[in-house]
Amino acid sequence: MSESMRSRGMRDMLPPEMERFRRIEDAFRKVCLGWGYREVRTPTIEHMYLFTAAGTLSPQMLDGVYSFLDWDGWSGERVVLRPDSTIPTARLFAENLAGEKPAKLFYVQNVFRFQQGDDTREDWQCGVELIGATPPQGDVELVMMALEVLERLGVKPSLKLSDPGILRAILNQAGLAQPEQIGVYDRILGGDMAALDELQASLPGAPVLRATLSVEGSGAAYLSSIRSLLSPVVADVTAPLDELSAVCEMLSGIGIEPAIAPLLVRDFEYYTGPAFQLFAGESKIGGGGRYDALVAQIGGEAVPSSGFALDMEALLAIVGDHAGDDSSISIRCEGGGSSADAFALAVALRQRDFVVEVGGTSTRGRHIVVSGEGFLVAVNGSQPRKASTVDEAVAAVSGG
Amino acid sequence: MIKIALPAGDLRTPVADVLSGAGLHVEGYGEGSRQYRLATRGRDDVRVRVFREKDIPIQVALGNYDLGITSLAWVHEIQCRFPQQPLVTLGDLGIGTGRIVAAASREHVSSIDNIGSLGRVRLASEYPNIAESFARSARLAHYRVQSVWGAAHAYPPEDADVVLLNVTDDGFLPEHGLVALLEVLENSAWVIGNARALAEKDLRSVLDALLEAAGDRAGSHRLRLPAPIAARANGQGAAVPREVLRMAVPDGHQQRHVHEALQVAGLEFDGYGEKTTVRRPESGIEGLEVKVVRPHDMPQLVATGDIDIAITGRDCLNEHLYQFPSSPSYEILDLQRAQYNLSAVVDRELPADDLAGALEYWRSEGRTALTIAAEYPATADHYARSRHFWRYRVIPIAGASEGFVPEDADLLIEGTETGRTIAENNLKVIDLLYRSTTCVITRRGAEFCGKQQEVFEHLCGTLAKASGSA
Repeated sequence: MSESMRSRGMRDMLPPEMERFRRIEDAFRKVCLGWGYREVRTPTIEHMYLFTAAGTLSPQMLDGVYSFLDWDGWSGERVVLRPDSTIPTARLFAENLAGEKPAKLFYVQNVFRFQQGDDTREDWQCGVELIGATPPQGDVELVMMALEVLERLGVKPSLKLSDPGILRAILNQAGLAQPEQIGVYDRILGGDMAALDELQASLPGAPVLRATLSVEGSGAAYLSSIRSLLSPVVADVTAPLDELSAVCEMLSGIGIEPAIAPLLVRDFEYYTGPAFQLFAGESKIGGGGRYDALVAQIGGEAVPSSGFALDMEALLAIVGDHAGDDSSISIRCEGGGSSADAFALAVALRQRDFVVEVGGTSTRGRHIVVSGEGFLVAVNGSQPRKASTVDEAVAAVSGG
Repeated sequence: MIKIALPAGDLRTPVADVLSGAGLHVEGYGEGSRQYRLATRGRDDVRVRVFREKDIPIQVALGNYDLGITSLAWVHEIQCRFPQQPLVTLGDLGIGTGRIVAAASREHVSSIDNIGSLGRVRLASEYPNIAESFARSARLAHYRVQSVWGAAHAYPPEDADVVLLNVTDDGFLPEHGLVALLEVLENSAWVIGNARALAEKDLRSVLDALLEAAGDRAGSHRLRLPAPIAARANGQGAAVPREVLRMAVPDGHQQRHVHEALQVAGLEFDGYGEKTTVRRPESGIEGLEVKVVRPHDMPQLVATGDIDIAITGRDCLNEHLYQFPSSPSYEILDLQRAQYNLSAVVDRELPADDLAGALEYWRSEGRTALTIAAEYPATADHYARSRHFWRYRVIPIAGASEGFVPEDADLLIEGTETGRTIAENNLKVIDLLYRSTTCVITRRGAEFCGKQQEVFEHLCGTLAKASGSA
């Protein structure tokens, strides 16, 4: 077949990949349930306007959403395939769970974002939202959960912390009006660091912003240096640095030493406080942060909130295939063997939690031949043992 | 072969002049001409096809044409929605100039910063993708964009808060009670190109002439979109109850038929004649407001509740319902006027007499995908689905449709009255979709107050007379 019938940017998941997918999902779900979180799922299609207001997604992200007029789009309102899960979960909370604080929610679901070329346009996320919890304990809890999931998967990540409040304080100090602040902030979220150079003239006495903020340092020592450089010229930078220090301190207390990267956040305008990202080597595998203004913005009450998501696509690439025992059993009929006997044996084995394939051709692992004279049970290449009844065959498999 | 798409309509004459001045003499292109496929004097390597302006960026982006001339606004209209399309703007010809402005009723919105206080903002435009970009750039928290076929200036304040429209005359906005909030684009006719054609073909012999005609104009070709506007959080916009019944009657080719039907029914709207139009005619009936809009836009206005009763074509209603099956707009009366057939049309040389035969022929030729051109894309899409086409794509077109088959499309969904135009263009009908006539539509489940109900029933009763007389 010369041209794929698969839509561009979409992907098929074959059995080995689905096995890894389920392993990641299982590890994630166990950790979430263990920390007292409950699973939710939001609709694939949401109203576009949920994502367009300032303080939600950056314009760069909005440019890549799959939006369309639904069948009842005669109202003129567009809908989107959800490009993000945090905003829909905040909506879900505001509409359904407002009385339950803190709401500890998690989900495994896909998001859709246009990408150039053949890059995948459907990403799966393992996400957690903690709405109504007191910072910084909430932030630290989320970091610990993310690290626990990755530990279960055998991934050793590096952790980087940031706080978009640092950048917002700089923009404020530069005297930009609110709309201009949003515009410059969005440029930087989109990776346009030249925007920082343009601010320099408005901040006499400030260090060279691009160089200073591009440096990644570690823990309390680096935060102290940043404070020393910025606080004399950027009045509002104290609060975000204090927030970041509090999170760092608590993490340090439990033996986690993050790096600090002031310009880490991309694409998401809704982050208001400490944010973190996780890397495996150079590959980003997840991230999250505080979004205290979001729930109020979409009509709920103002509640402190934070969340994170692990990127399934990145994890699938680094989590190895499971090398566990092959516990499946193959049953086939030969020489007048009855299909009824084969299915009766399969049912009996499945009741004992064996994986049974009827009609399989495998002669490796465990396989059973049903003939006119009974059952021949072979286990991992051993000499086949005869069994006259279903119960004897089950005992032979279990004993073997 | 270098393929060029040139505009029909008002740009014909100035573009023909520019081309002649540049040494490209396109035979038969100019004022009054209705030819779609043209030759260029002394240039056998150049093929010219005439399209509606709106269709030219699509045809060039698809790669069906290497170069085109069209208004910059239509280029942005496609690029706002599909920024990855291989379209390049090459030079400003400085003709067909105007401004795309965001405007509002001067009595309701004084500046662009006021938009945020409206809560839910209603935008109406012939350029819905630009309007969508406008709303996103303004970071409006709650908005809707109504795509209209025309007459956007008639919408504020009752049916839209903001309109984006092309203004060619400084007096136009004040004349219609509007004020410009933002100039979004300096509009004019531009030479555009397909990026792949530019990369792979030697277009110099034509490009040199066109770019010389374009000269070196310094104007901006970029959209100027608004900065974020402070919004009222999650605003819904308070619905204002009204006591009058609102009716829409059409302009364009339907106007003559509807005017006649109204006369038969004994209804005379001052300002709505056989040919004369004001946008808000006087109904002469207490409790009845009348507005003149494009018939294509009526089903949506009725669905949203902005208009209560409208006279339009069944083609417009069906197009709306195929796109939005849950819409509450529906037909209550067939006025049996302006009748025509909506048909499936193919090249006359195609060896088939009906759709089944045509599909069989295309399959036997190994065709893997069919191209359908239609002014009613949702209708064409529904038709292709219900007739079990295999792989197909629908190209929405704005007009000049007879020229699409066979070079640019396999099948055309086209309105035919006598069949003469079809025959003149070497086409033939192979299937009938339905017969369209003028009809009266309203909204299912509409709840009218006492006076509104009274006027509604009076209208339905009198219009029924016109139905019986046709």
